[in-house]
Amino acid sequence: MIQRRALALLTLVLALAWLAPWAPPPAPRAQGVEVFLNVTGGGSKKLNIAIPEFTVVSGTDPQGTAKLLAAVAGNDLTFSGLFSVVTATGAIPPNNPTALKESWSAFAAAGAHAGVHGLLALRGDRLEAEMRLYDLTSPEHRLIAAKKFEGTLVQARRVAHRIADEIVLQFTGERGVADTKIAYVVGPRGAKELYIADYDGAGATAVTRNGSINLSPVWSPDARSLAFTSYLQGYPDLYRLFPFERRPLQTLAAFAGINSSPAWSPDGRLLALTLSKDGNPEIYVLTVATGALRRLTRHVGIDTEPTWAPTGRQIAFVSDRAGTPHIFVMDTDGANVRQLTPSGFQTQPRWSPKGDMIVYTQRRGGHQLWAINPDGSNPRQLTFGPGQAQSASWAPDGRHLAFQSDRLGRWQIFAMLLDGTPPARITSGGGEATSPTWSPRLP
Amino acid sequence: MRPSPKEFTAIADLKDIHFDFDKYDIRPSDAKVLDANAIWLKSHGDYLILIEGHCDERGTNEYNLALGERRAKSTMNYLVSQGVQASRITIISYGEERPTCTEKNEGCWSNNRRAHFLVKPR
Repeated sequence: MIQRRALALLTLVLALAWLAPWAPPPAPRAQGVEVFLNVTGGGSKKLNIAIPEFTVVSGTDPQGTAKLLAAVAGNDLTFSGLFSVVTATGAIPPNNPTALKESWSAFAAAGAHAGVHGLLALRGDRLEAEMRLYDLTSPEHRLIAAKKFEGTLVQARRVAHRIADEIVLQFTGERGVADTKIAYVVGPRGAKELYIADYDGAGATAVTRNGSINLSPVWSPDARSLAFTSYLQGYPDLYRLFPFERRPLQTLAAFAGINSSPAWSPDGRLLALTLSKDGNPEIYVLTVATGALRRLTRHVGIDTEPTWAPTGRQIAFVSDRAGTPHIFVMDTDGANVRQLTPSGFQTQPRWSPKGDMIVYTQRRGGHQLWAINPDGSNPRQLTFGPGQAQSASWAPDGRHLAFQSDRLGRWQIFAMLLDGTPPARITSGGGEATSPTWSPRLP
Repeated sequence: MRPSPKEFTAIADLKDIHFDFDKYDIRPSDAKVLDANAIWLKSHGDYLILIEGHCDERGTNEYNLALGERRAKSTMNYLVSQGVQASRITIISYGEERPTCTEKNEGCWSNNRRAHFLVKPR
C-alpha cells in the first residue's frame, strides 16, 4: 500500500515536472501545489477533477446554463491535458453543507482529487457564476479557491472558459488558454475570407466579407486586432482589422510587389513583414505607430516568414539562400544570421511564446510539423499523420498548437498538446479551413 | 501608382511559361517562348504588361507568395534583357491561390507553376 502511494506521488511529481520547461516559476500558490502532493489514489499522470452540473442558487434556468457551464469547463479542463474530468449527473443541492460533504465523499471514493462546485445566479439576461474549488484528498475537503464571474447569458461559454482557466491557474501557477480565440482562413482558392471562433471552434463568424483573397492572419499581442494579407486592392497588401470594434480597416503596407507574412513583435509596437519593393522578397520591420521601415535582410534569394523570439531580440525566418528553403535566425538588427535546419525543405517557423523551441513545417513528400531548439539542436517530428500538418500557431501557454491538417480530406483546423495526445478538431464548417492564428489570452 | 490588375486581359499571342518545383530560373525551352513574347511586345508598344507569378499547391502559403513573386520577377528580367521596356511591366504574385487545375498530380502541378501574361492599352 505504501509502495502504491509512493508511486502515485511520484507520477504526479513527474506530471508537474514535465510542465516545468514551459511554465514560468510557479507562483507561490502553496495550496494548489499541496493538492498535487496530497494525492494518494489513482496512479494517473493527470489530476482527477469532478465538475458536477452547477447549482442554481437564484432565478430560473430554462436554457440549461447550469449544465452548459459544467460541460464547457469540463471540456476545457480535459483539453488542458492536465486533468481527467470525473463526470456526474445532477447538481449538488444549494445551501446544504451535509449534501456537499456527501457528494465530495462520493467523488473522492470514485477517485477524484479535486471538486468544482459551481453556483449559478440568473437574473434576466445576466448570470453570475461562482466557482468553488475543493481539495478532495484532504479529510475536511479543504476549500482551495473561490471566485465569481459575471456575464450575459449569451456569454455563458466564455464564463465557463474563464472558470476553467482559473482552475488551471490554481494548479499550475499559469492561467489556462480556454478564454482565447482562433482566427483562420476559410474558402476555396481564389476566394478566401477570415473567420474567428472560440478556441474550441464554437461561434465561428466571418470577419471579412470582401470577396477577395485574404491570407495569413496573425493576432496582435493585445488580442484586439489581426494583421493579414489581402488582394482587396488588387495586389497582396497588408492590412489590420479590429474584429471587436467599430474601427475601419487600416492599411499597414501597400508597396509595389508583395506585402506579406506579418509577425508582431512581443510588445506589439513593431511588425516584421516581407516586402519585395526593393527587388526581391526581404524582411523588414515596420514601426506601426509611425510607419517607419527598417530593412533586415539583404540577399538575392527569398527571405520571408519572420517570427519573433519572445525576448524580442531575435527573429527566425525562411530563406532559400542555401538552395531550398530552410529556417534561419538573426538578431533583430539583421546581424548574426545563422542557419538552423541543415537540409531538406522547411518553412513556417513559429517561435514558442516560452522561447524554448521553434516549430516549423518540414516538407518530405507531404508536410509535417517539426520542432527544433533555437540553438539548432534536437530537431524532432511532432505530427505523423494521417494526412499532412502545416501552418502551426502557438497557444499562449506554449503547450498547445493549432495547425491545419487534411487528414479528413479537406483542410481543417486542429489543436494538439505537444505530448502526442491525438489532436482535437476545431473547425467543422464546409469548405477548407487553413492558416490558424491562436490569440493571446483575451483582456 | 499601380494599375489595377482587373484592367488587364490575357491574349492568345502571349504564351505562359513554366517552372520546375521550387525554382524561378527560366528553363531553356521557356526562354524560346519568352523570346517570342518579347518580339510581340516590342511590336505592340502601346500595351502595358502584367506578369502573374504562380505556384503549385505543394509548398506552403507564404513561401509560395514569395516564390511566385520571384517567378514573375525573373520573367520580367528576361523580357527586359530582350529589349522590352521595364516601365511597361507590372508584376503580381498569386502564390498558390489561383491554380489552373486542382488535381493532385505532377501534370496539374507543373501547369500551375507558371508565369502568365496579360495586357492593357496604355
